[in-house]
Amino acid sequence: MADPTPTAPPPATHDAGEPIAEHRSRMRVTIDTVLRNRLAVIGLVVLALLVLAAIFGPTIAPYDINDINIADRLQGLSSSHWFGTDELGRDVFSRVLVGARVSLTVGFIAVGIAVVIGVPIGLVSGFYGGATDSWLMRLMDILFSLPAILLAIAILAVLGPGIVNAMIAIGIVYTPIFARITRGSVLTVKESVFVRAARSLGATDTRILRSHILPNVVAPIIVQTSLSLAFAILAEAALSFLGLGVQPPEPAWGRMLSEGRGFFQQAPWMAIFPGLAIVITVMAFNFVGDGLRDALDPQQRSVIESRGVG
Amino acid sequence: MAKSTQRGAALVRILVVLFVVALVAAACSSGESVDVDDDSTTTTAAAGGDETTTTAADGGDETTTTAAAGGDTGGGAVLIAAQGSEPDRLDPHLTSAFASFQVLENVYDTLVQPGADLSMEPALAESWEISDDNLTWTFKMREGVTWHNGRPFTAADVEYSFNRIMDPDFGAANAWRFGAVESVTAVDDMTLEIKVTQPTPNLLVSIGGFKGMAIVPQEIVDDGTIDTNPVGTGPFKFVSSSPDQGIVLERNENYWRADEGLPYLNGIQFTQIPDPTVKLTNLQTGAVDWVDTVPPQQLSALESDDSVVVMRVPGGDYHYFALNQTREPFDNPDVRRAIATAINREEIAEAAQFGAAVANQAAIPEGTFWYYDYAPYPTADAAAAQALLEGAGVTDLTIEFLVTSDFPETVTQAQVISAQLAEIGVTVEIKDVDFGTWLDLEGSGEFDAFMLSWIGNIDPDDFYYAQHHSDGGFNFQGYSNPDVDALLDEARVETDQDARKALYDEAAAMIIDDASYIYLYNPQNINAWSPRVSGYTVRGDNAVRFVETRLDG
Amino acid sequence: MTNYVLRRFGQMMLALLGVSVIVFALIHLVPGDPIRVALGTRFDPDTYAALSERAGLDRPIVVQYFAWLGSALTGDLGVSFRSGQPVTTLLLERLPATITLAFAALFVAIVVSIPLGIVSAIRSGSKLDYASTAASQVGVSVPDFWAGIMYILLFALALSWLPPSGYVSILDSPIDWLRHLALPAVTVGLISGSILFRFVRSAVLEALHQDYTRTARAKGLSEREVITRHVLPNAWIPIITVVGLQLGFLLSGVIVVEVIFAWPGLGRLALLSVQDRDFTVLQGAVLLIAAMFLVINLIVDVLYAYVDPRVRY
Repeated sequence: MADPTPTAPPPATHDAGEPIAEHRSRMRVTIDTVLRNRLAVIGLVVLALLVLAAIFGPTIAPYDINDINIADRLQGLSSSHWFGTDELGRDVFSRVLVGARVSLTVGFIAVGIAVVIGVPIGLVSGFYGGATDSWLMRLMDILFSLPAILLAIAILAVLGPGIVNAMIAIGIVYTPIFARITRGSVLTVKESVFVRAARSLGATDTRILRSHILPNVVAPIIVQTSLSLAFAILAEAALSFLGLGVQPPEPAWGRMLSEGRGFFQQAPWMAIFPGLAIVITVMAFNFVGDGLRDALDPQQRSVIESRGVG
Repeated sequence: MAKSTQRGAALVRILVVLFVVALVAAACSSGESVDVDDDSTTTTAAAGGDETTTTAADGGDETTTTAAAGGDTGGGAVLIAAQGSEPDRLDPHLTSAFASFQVLENVYDTLVQPGADLSMEPALAESWEISDDNLTWTFKMREGVTWHNGRPFTAADVEYSFNRIMDPDFGAANAWRFGAVESVTAVDDMTLEIKVTQPTPNLLVSIGGFKGMAIVPQEIVDDGTIDTNPVGTGPFKFVSSSPDQGIVLERNENYWRADEGLPYLNGIQFTQIPDPTVKLTNLQTGAVDWVDTVPPQQLSALESDDSVVVMRVPGGDYHYFALNQTREPFDNPDVRRAIATAINREEIAEAAQFGAAVANQAAIPEGTFWYYDYAPYPTADAAAAQALLEGAGVTDLTIEFLVTSDFPETVTQAQVISAQLAEIGVTVEIKDVDFGTWLDLEGSGEFDAFMLSWIGNIDPDDFYYAQHHSDGGFNFQGYSNPDVDALLDEARVETDQDARKALYDEAAAMIIDDASYIYLYNPQNINAWSPRVSGYTVRGDNAVRFVETRLDG
Repeated sequence: MTNYVLRRFGQMMLALLGVSVIVFALIHLVPGDPIRVALGTRFDPDTYAALSERAGLDRPIVVQYFAWLGSALTGDLGVSFRSGQPVTTLLLERLPATITLAFAALFVAIVVSIPLGIVSAIRSGSKLDYASTAASQVGVSVPDFWAGIMYILLFALALSWLPPSGYVSILDSPIDWLRHLALPAVTVGLISGSILFRFVRSAVLEALHQDYTRTARAKGLSEREVITRHVLPNAWIPIITVVGLQLGFLLSGVIVVEVIFAWPGLGRLALLSVQDRDFTVLQGAVLLIAAMFLVINLIVDVLYAYVDPRVRY
């Protein structure tokens, strides 16, 4: 599914005037603010658990994910099958647990790809402006206007199915967002007082980019990353739903949802638990993202501080 | 700031107005039906469209109104039939979409057609004779048949249709079925002569087995409307096709069985609902009257549900997988036999079809004349399978199964097989691609094993020749056995039914022993409908015929 | 201002051209072609060759593209390989359903999110605020295909309040049009609304803490006047931007929902055309979707520039 978070309104320029020396204590303030936000903390805890599930899932899962047992199929919740069994008799709990690996991997790598490609594009585009900006943004516009699911399907059809190609497909689909956000931030910061001062002092482009612009565009990028992670997981679910992406029998929550919906009247647990897993994971990413945004956007931060509560 | 505030406010007002206008405009432009040039259909499009829309909108309630409006026979109404896939083009000679055939079955006729027991019976041809040398078939046409556009039907129409199919430049999907036909000639208005190059015992099946060989009128081909506005001789006439209503048919008042009062229905509306759960929900809520499939796992629940009638019959479709004999080690028949020995077909059928299937080591299902009871492979005999592999010198075998989520049973089957083959130390990897890619990979030979199903046939030649003969057009697995070739060639021209069966039995035994295909099961044909529907039956060839169907109010 | 509009329009046309090139290239990279898919498993090399030549698929890709472009510029988008119908007809048949769904979903989203968002921002920290925020968190996290099926099973099957799927034109029956529109519009609208809610809330919050708000309060205006005359009008601008973008996404991104609800829209047509490798239909459908998206973006950008002259670079 497309990530509809638009280019956020350009961040306020108040803080942009702070010289670089205060950067470290700002990070500490950020972390403190985030940690005071109860929801964000919950989100972080959930994410930590998910990462653990992703890493250790196969080892700690009570059953093998491919343990097919037709005689035992479509069984409800029991002490031996906490989440019941699916249409092939496999343990749903084990599959949901191991499915965390797919969702998190696809999410992180896909968004990673989008950041690695999109941010430099946005930096260059915003900083140098002119024809480069025009052409790059045209390209981003084109990518942006293509329906996300179709683009992902087409890319997967070209590259072949599989988890790696799903990551590439989703990464490509999300690149324009990061390019746009980066560019927007760069534009705002570019004209600020201190950058002009640095320039008049003769600083090179690279130095300005590295020391002044980049630190100030990091904030919206971080926020967008956590939000995009949430949507990337939904996108992977949608692709798995359509039968693309991860190959069976590797469990993927989206594919489990797809298989489960045909059995909803006999065995609702087949779809409920993967669905819950998706919802909880996405919410966790959103909580963390919101927490980061509240902490990094000075406007919000002053609001929070004035309320004295997270 | 103040000025932009004002502008902001004005902006909002403008946008709200625009929004409302856009919404109203979009809503008011309905999905227009495709423009139809034929006069009769244009007028009826208006009337037919309205009738069917009201019926669709209000579920089953409006059948009483339409019955009053149209039917002089009891049980007249418009039946709403839900298909799970989309028809493509409506040219019977070009289309290969199952959904198209479900519609065309009721619009067109063939020269002869399969009866209830799947033996060929008269349709547009009333009777036929075969010459003593078996090389000339003479068909006598049925009298008093008219096309939907009013023109009388003649033998020239059959000559035209068959020649169209056989035309090598035309590219008909079923041209190969006429391989033995040398010429088709209309001797006079009521007589047709078909000359074959060799005795062809299955000619009737080849030229009339399903609507891919329908008889069409030349005029709609010449004016280019055959794809979008079919005109046939069948019980129902085409009215319109649109995305929101689907395909709408209405009763053909001049149908050649009108003297029996047929058809009873005023019309049929074929609507497309891709999601199987949603489709079934439509039937259960009464929004549609008939559905083409039912998720097999719902069968036991539905069969005890009084609001729905479910019927299933043994079908001729078969599911299989084939190993690539142009690739090592699958060129070794022992390796293939090992796989065929290690699997458990009943378990696969149970997993994929929930009991609505019959496991089969051969292709042809039980209950038909051509059935051959041959099951040489044990069920899931791991020891024997491993012995075969060792004998072939194969260890650490990995097989990549090519499946497609567009045929979801293949994905299930592959997963079950993967668990079964793990017992003998064979690793299965699954490659699930969309159907277009699947076809491409199958066609280019880039697979270890491909998994799919074939739609059922009536004649044994259709079960074997194209897939297992060295020259067969669909022999993608690379099988070549000269003995089988000889048997199949001989069986094609053998006119004695029993002798023919013996030949096919022998060929089948070799094909199965060589594991050219590894057959899995024959799924049952299942349809479901509302209790208000009567006069419909599920057929062994899965043809969807509504000619004798009634819908009570 | 006119210059800006003209420039953006020109850029939009260039973008559309780029879209057509990319889609054309991409779909031709995908294995399989429409003739192959149409023939299915009954693939015969001779039939395939004959049909390919008739369809002009044996020409080099570049030639095919420019042939397509040439006729597209005259309004002829070609003919569907799969059904034989003109692409323009197919697109126009399905456009109303897509637009109806997009606007109806947006309507649901706005009705739900804007009042709640404003109130939540004004009474930030209250129970209502927490409840709405929590609800919007859930709303954003539920996959649309999942929500859709659940609604169908609940409202159509279990409760029999609404029809499970399908589309009825408003001209045929306004009531049934509404009944069939309800579930898909709510499915998509609630998700869209959850996203909007968060932006409305943060936009209003931000406006609440601006200097001019403090000034207005200091001037002694009643809270209600402060909000309606100063806070809201300034919050509208970012809100409109987001609404515009949402509309763009709604027009292009509800494919899976269309499939589930058997909604005869462009998205479902586009998906089918990818599966069937129906090049001409895919080109036409994507072009139309992209055009709608870009036009809406253009309108939003122009309005943004109209309101905030600083943005016109």
